[in-house]
Amino acid sequence: MFVLLRQLSTIRRDAGLTRGRPVSLAIRHVDAGSCNGCEHELGAVSNPFHDLQRFGLDIVASPRHADILLVTGAVTTRMAGPLRTAYDAMPDPRLVAGLGDCALALNVLGADSEFAGRLEDLLPVDIRIPGCPPTPDAIAEHLLAALARDTRSGADQLSTPPVTSNSAP
Amino acid sequence: MSTQQHVAPKAFCAAVSQALDAGERFGGGWVSTREGALTWSVLLVAPVETRVISCQAPRGSVDSIVELAEAAAWDEREAHDLYGLDFAGHSPLRALATHTADPDRWMTPVSGDGVHQVAVGPIHAGVIESGHFRFHVVGERILAMDTRLFYKHRGLERACEGHDVDGALRYAHRACAACAVANTTAYAQAVEDARGLSADRDLRVARTVLLELERLYNHLHDIGAICAGVGYAPGTMAFAALKDRAQQINANAFAHRFLFGTVAVASGAVELDQSATADTRAALRELHTDTAAAWRDLEFAGSLQARLDGVGILDEHDARRLGTVGPAARAAGIADDLRQGDTRLAYDGFTAAALDAATGDVADRLRLRAAELDTTYELLEDLLGRPLARGAALADRHASEELGVGRVESPRGATTCIVELHDERVARLHLRTASYANWPSVAHATAGNLLPDFPLINKSFELCYACVDR
Repeated sequence: MFVLLRQLSTIRRDAGLTRGRPVSLAIRHVDAGSCNGCEHELGAVSNPFHDLQRFGLDIVASPRHADILLVTGAVTTRMAGPLRTAYDAMPDPRLVAGLGDCALALNVLGADSEFAGRLEDLLPVDIRIPGCPPTPDAIAEHLLAALARDTRSGADQLSTPPVTSNSAP
Repeated sequence: MSTQQHVAPKAFCAAVSQALDAGERFGGGWVSTREGALTWSVLLVAPVETRVISCQAPRGSVDSIVELAEAAAWDEREAHDLYGLDFAGHSPLRALATHTADPDRWMTPVSGDGVHQVAVGPIHAGVIESGHFRFHVVGERILAMDTRLFYKHRGLERACEGHDVDGALRYAHRACAACAVANTTAYAQAVEDARGLSADRDLRVARTVLLELERLYNHLHDIGAICAGVGYAPGTMAFAALKDRAQQINANAFAHRFLFGTVAVASGAVELDQSATADTRAALRELHTDTAAAWRDLEFAGSLQARLDGVGILDEHDARRLGTVGPAARAAGIADDLRQGDTRLAYDGFTAAALDAATGDVADRLRLRAAELDTTYELLEDLLGRPLARGAALADRHASEELGVGRVESPRGATTCIVELHDERVARLHLRTASYANWPSVAHATAGNLLPDFPLINKSFELCYACVDR
């Protein structure tokens, strides 16, 4: 199965398709070591006061369906592996967002030996959403800005896959 | 005020056994290290007093009390994994915090015709904290479940050692956002207990208001989560909106949706003048009316109610045996609530909500929370009748300056914080949250149920993973 999935992922990347109607972003959340505050607020962006789904932003169940990996918490040693697995399972092009001060390595509390390192050093972080925890408004604002960047031009990573394939016939 | 009794290792089990026979209950166990030597302590709680029985473990081993108090199982497993302490008589001593690849080291052995395993997590399909569940099933029927948490273990307890009491507060605070007020209040009370300080009336009132505001948004959240557990979207959304309004009230009154930074050691950290108190009270009154209307609707929502009865039963006998606390215990018919008879907060004359004919199923855990919301709204209505002043904790007795215990009824039940001080600094902080106490009960309530009902059963407890993975 993994061979098929890899083939499909490669085909999708190499085909160089732009997003047909780039008005949606599928989000996969991974809690890499949070205090549960960011989870509460990420849940709140779907509540009737914010209803982020109306902008085409949705939380999806699998990283294989996701455009953005939204990471909360400072990455613990025990979550570094699952986090990497989730990232590897995502099709290209993909973005990583750090949600909250811990994911952005600001004011991390705990024993150094329990952490795998800064998220920035483990994965390429494209979107930074500070706050402890960021309010639903702040989360919405940052994600919508990412969506706007995506919609605006083909220069953005999400609209144009990296040119790693041989585009020759 | 807590007393500490040091006993010889050989006399430890007998001392604990005697206390349990006298009606005291196990309230947590922790290791402390001084000059390389390990000391194992357990907290025993009676309705009014708490006391600590400690023994040294010169050869890295003590006698297990798990045969006397099953509730100590996780404490002993954690102490083994994090401090290398062995427990004679606790067999098999399965890994809890250590994540070993060998299934025999951490899972219940389950075998038989058609038995297979379903592995879930650590990453879940929704916006959920990280943790792993291993179900042993036949078809859709769950025979047993092994819970593996500590994916998010951040070493907060160890990292705060050596800090002064204000510095260590930040670590207790960081453990869990949804229980931040309960955890920090328990910590502050523990330090005050060690130092012989008592909160004055103003401080007790302010802390009680904050604890009840925390309970309010959590209970509203939990009711919505149970609706989500059966896919009843209108209930999920309505209660998500009510929860958000409760958090907006928190933000308006105390500048933070989760009430961060509102608890300090030995003094108050918030105040509310006449007009702010009146505004908060008015907003809460409106929220109470809307909560009552939304709850009435849920009671008559057939497609929701039909899914709850008889699911995920935790009966009174098992709840006592496993040391279950909070709404989960009360929904099983145990009338324990630290707010009753409390002397360190402002719960004068409080009576915990109770159900008629509690059976301990999902329906009861839901109904109990709805009943508790009413008592919380009434408490807040009463306490916010006057402006809130900061208050302080003042010395009124001689104290050990070494050991203190704080206990608070968090939204999920009794949360305990132990603090050991040495030269004005925190030598040991141990946080035993209600979630920690209740996780074994989730596994117990899950056995015998259908796999698709697990999310519902899990949400009816709605425990924090972060409160365990501190």
